[in-house]
Amino acid sequence: MLIRLDPAAPEPIYAQIAAQVRSAAARGELEPGERLPAARDLAESLQVNLHTVLRAYQELRDAGLIELRRGRGAVVAAGAARDLAPLADAVQALASTARRLGVPPETTLALVKEALR
Amino acid sequence: MTPAPATAPGRTATPVPRRAATTLVTLVVPLVVMVATVALALSWRDRLPDPVASHWGPDGVDGASSFAGLVSIVPLLGLPAAVLAWWFAFAAGRSALSRRTAAAIALWTSTFACAMTVVTLSAQLDVDHWSQARDLDGGLALAFAVPVVVALLGAWVTPGDGPAPAASPVPDSAPRLALPDGGQAAWVRRVDWVHPAVIVAIVVGFSALMGAITRSWWFPVTIGAFLLAVLVGLSGWTVTVDGRGLVAKARLPRPRLVLPLDEVEHAEVVDVHPLREFGGWGLRVGLGGRVGLVVRSGEALEVTRTGGRRVVVTVDDAATGAALLNTLAARARG
Repeated sequence: MLIRLDPAAPEPIYAQIAAQVRSAAARGELEPGERLPAARDLAESLQVNLHTVLRAYQELRDAGLIELRRGRGAVVAAGAARDLAPLADAVQALASTARRLGVPPETTLALVKEALR
Repeated sequence: MTPAPATAPGRTATPVPRRAATTLVTLVVPLVVMVATVALALSWRDRLPDPVASHWGPDGVDGASSFAGLVSIVPLLGLPAAVLAWWFAFAAGRSALSRRTAAAIALWTSTFACAMTVVTLSAQLDVDHWSQARDLDGGLALAFAVPVVVALLGAWVTPGDGPAPAASPVPDSAPRLALPDGGQAAWVRRVDWVHPAVIVAIVVGFSALMGAITRSWWFPVTIGAFLLAVLVGLSGWTVTVDGRGLVAKARLPRPRLVLPLDEVEHAEVVDVHPLREFGGWGLRVGLGGRVGLVVRSGEALEVTRTGGRRVVVTVDDAATGAALLNTLAARARG
């Protein structure tokens, strides 16, 4: 798994880390059950704050790509193939569109609920 | 074979370092221990039966041999091990790992032969006939534990390599990859040797067999626990390339491979044949002073390090690791 950070890029560092872990999994470099490097080790390797790596891992966990287990660290999830990243991206797009159009959160949520019914 | 790198002529000219320490730890210390053991055995001679008890079965002592035959185990086992280990470290010990391995082998073999002899003889001091020899129990445990401790101690006191920064730039022919300006990068791969479950199955089976034969439980359990801790602890490795260089670590803190970035001359992908080039699998020292984490044949990352040293790690996607290491080394050297 190769992770390259670009300090000049618009995405925050944690998002760069998460994106590259995600693409490593998509390429099949990470297998389900495989352990990701300990957050502390990866933070030292990349010379970033521990919390930056933890935030990347949390995002990957929220996307269902990894499981964070106390004592065992970050493990690639069995259902990692079911990457929820597209949904997260769509939600992000929805949020920014709503903001741009000045639609209040309540209205946006109501529209989402309506669509999910 | 890959084409010879630009720095190849310097490789053979680099003298092997730390030869005095190598000689002391792998040759002088084992010799002193062996001579002391033989001297102790000779001083006990009048208090020992003739012949002496030499073999213990499940029901106690069940075999005898001549005094000379028993004591000759010390030089017959210890001497070749010490001389071979010393010669290997003296001639090819460019890496600390090679010298430490040689020290551990020389010390373990010689002290094991000595400890077994001392324990065997001390169990029959002042008896009239060899069949009256006492049980070994605690002594046997010591005879297994002491050599392990001495070998670890020997590896620990063996001097490391010391800093040796590269003087030449990374050759242009070495593969690179794109790196954002001022950006950090890391490459992490797992190297799995044997699945821990396989190790557990083999060790438990082995211990059960040993328990059935010796009809005791503490001995197989202790040996089994020791083997389990060492083998499981060294079964899975993590290889990391980052701004500090290359590190390969297992679950146990030692042994490990550490290669600082400023000692990287260049990295490349090679094809490795473990049995032919390293005489086996695992953390190996090869002839010609190559050291390596070799768990399978095929693709491997080979780093040419200063001081005529080379480090090999069998790892998937070695091309990316090699390219990142070259890129980081070149950038650090400005």
